[in-house]
Amino acid sequence: MRGLKSLTSLAAGSALVLSGLVATTSSATATTAIAQCQASFKSGHLPLVSAGKLTVASDINNGLYQPWFGANGNPSTGKGYESALAYAIAKDLGITSKNVKWTAEAFDSSFAPGSKNFDFDINEISVTTDRAQVVDFSNSYYNVQQSIVALKTNAIVKHHSATDLKNYTYGDQIGTTGLDYINNHIKPTKQVHVYNTLDEAVAALTAGQVDAIVVDTPTGQYMAAAQIVDSKNKPLATQVGQFPSTGEHYGLLFQKGNTLVGCVNTAIADLTANGTIKALQKQYLSIYTKVPALTPIQP
Amino acid sequence: MGRRAAVASTISSAIIVALIVWFFWRAPNGANVRFFFLNPHAFWVNLTGDPSRSLYSILRCFETNVWMFMLCEVLVLIFGLGLAWLRLSRTPILAPLRVASAIYTDVFRGIPIILVLFAVGYGVPGMHAGWISQRTATTYACATLVITYSAYVAEVYRAGMNSVPHGQVMAAKSLGLSDVQTMRRVILPQAVRNVIPPLLNDFISLQKDTALVGTLGILDANQAAQLYGAKEFNFTGYTVAALLFLALTIPMTRYTDHLIAKDRRRRLAGGAA
Repeated sequence: MRGLKSLTSLAAGSALVLSGLVATTSSATATTAIAQCQASFKSGHLPLVSAGKLTVASDINNGLYQPWFGANGNPSTGKGYESALAYAIAKDLGITSKNVKWTAEAFDSSFAPGSKNFDFDINEISVTTDRAQVVDFSNSYYNVQQSIVALKTNAIVKHHSATDLKNYTYGDQIGTTGLDYINNHIKPTKQVHVYNTLDEAVAALTAGQVDAIVVDTPTGQYMAAAQIVDSKNKPLATQVGQFPSTGEHYGLLFQKGNTLVGCVNTAIADLTANGTIKALQKQYLSIYTKVPALTPIQP
Repeated sequence: MGRRAAVASTISSAIIVALIVWFFWRAPNGANVRFFFLNPHAFWVNLTGDPSRSLYSILRCFETNVWMFMLCEVLVLIFGLGLAWLRLSRTPILAPLRVASAIYTDVFRGIPIILVLFAVGYGVPGMHAGWISQRTATTYACATLVITYSAYVAEVYRAGMNSVPHGQVMAAKSLGLSDVQTMRRVILPQAVRNVIPPLLNDFISLQKDTALVGTLGILDANQAAQLYGAKEFNFTGYTVAALLFLALTIPMTRYTDHLIAKDRRRRLAGGAA
């Protein structure tokens, strides 16, 4: 940035020249930033819990699922969006894939306060202000949209204009962003049913106790395709559509105050700039982009 | 002497209360626990709710608990009596129902209520069996409470009926009363009075067990408290819910104790009806 300032004073006369210079310099800064991170890893100055290695956590003990991880639930294959991204970030920081170590961290305990035995946790964790008070998050690596899941026989499948949506009974899991979306954006006229687990909400949906569940698109896709099935494994539910993103996103989770987040953000920016993240999303997450869009409801 | 005893008991109570408070206040992580369970700001938000943050008023949600147990208590009294009556009936034609009533009380006194709640709340609507499957979650919750508590209350009634001396039945028969008349005019009035304290005990349990209906997605006081905890990482909502339940159950427990004491005095005085 100091270089940028001196260039600015030199070229103060011409706005045209200036803008050209800033463009060149800022892309150069991004390259420099990642180079600096690579250098600090080489010299051992990158703050890692285990020297020379990147320790990545996920909810290994409770199962890892496609498309975020590979088919066998093994995170170290580099298959699946999150696994591939973890290796891409490591590579960008100059860490070889054999120096990427995986460790188990349950979803619920990941955003509890305290010291962590991993560098970062990658586990479809939504960034919320509450969670950000006790842990740190990287910038977004996936923007979450909320979607509606309902039984194929429910009226909501055909009638889901912004006004229609108010008249259904919704069910959702306690403390989820889906429940917030219902309350803040759909604002239904009937009392929302609030369940302790998502499985209970699904049971209520199957039993016809609620018309629809609002969950993020990836979860909804799994529910409609594989979870809500009849005794012959035939899908009973469908993903009616998805709402525009409200800014909710998944972030990598760090122990509060971990300075590694700076270099990881640099890597995410670098991987966004060079198209890696877009390519990985196209490779692993394209099923989500096919879900039809729903009319936005103004908050 | 009485005055000295009163002073001594007051002092000893004060010391014990002070010791308990001191223990919790001085615990190494006491301040943290107070923040999580007794946060004044969270207390207020929990009581009144905050729609802009999707937080519900626990006081409003507690209304669900109140009307639910008031309705269920009445139904349990009726249904439980029916069960006990069936079980004690001597009519040969009612034998299958007698057996059914015995099995019923055994089964539903033995299954934890939360499991019955799951089975009724998700199983019955899941069958897609017409009208019975299209009721609301609150209906299934009430049905569960009535099903389970009727089993307890039937046993209480039965104990009461059995406590009426057999001579009373013989006397009724010799006066030419029918079986139904004997039950209605001789056995029940005495039996019910004997079992009022244990009946009220079961009702206190019933009031508390309305906190389980959140399992079916119903927003009762407990579910609202849980929702606050999940969103705000603070458990003061549970304290609010606990205090609301206490406000309801303490008068009931005091009244029950008063009835028990009164009953004991009556019996010691010679047991005149």
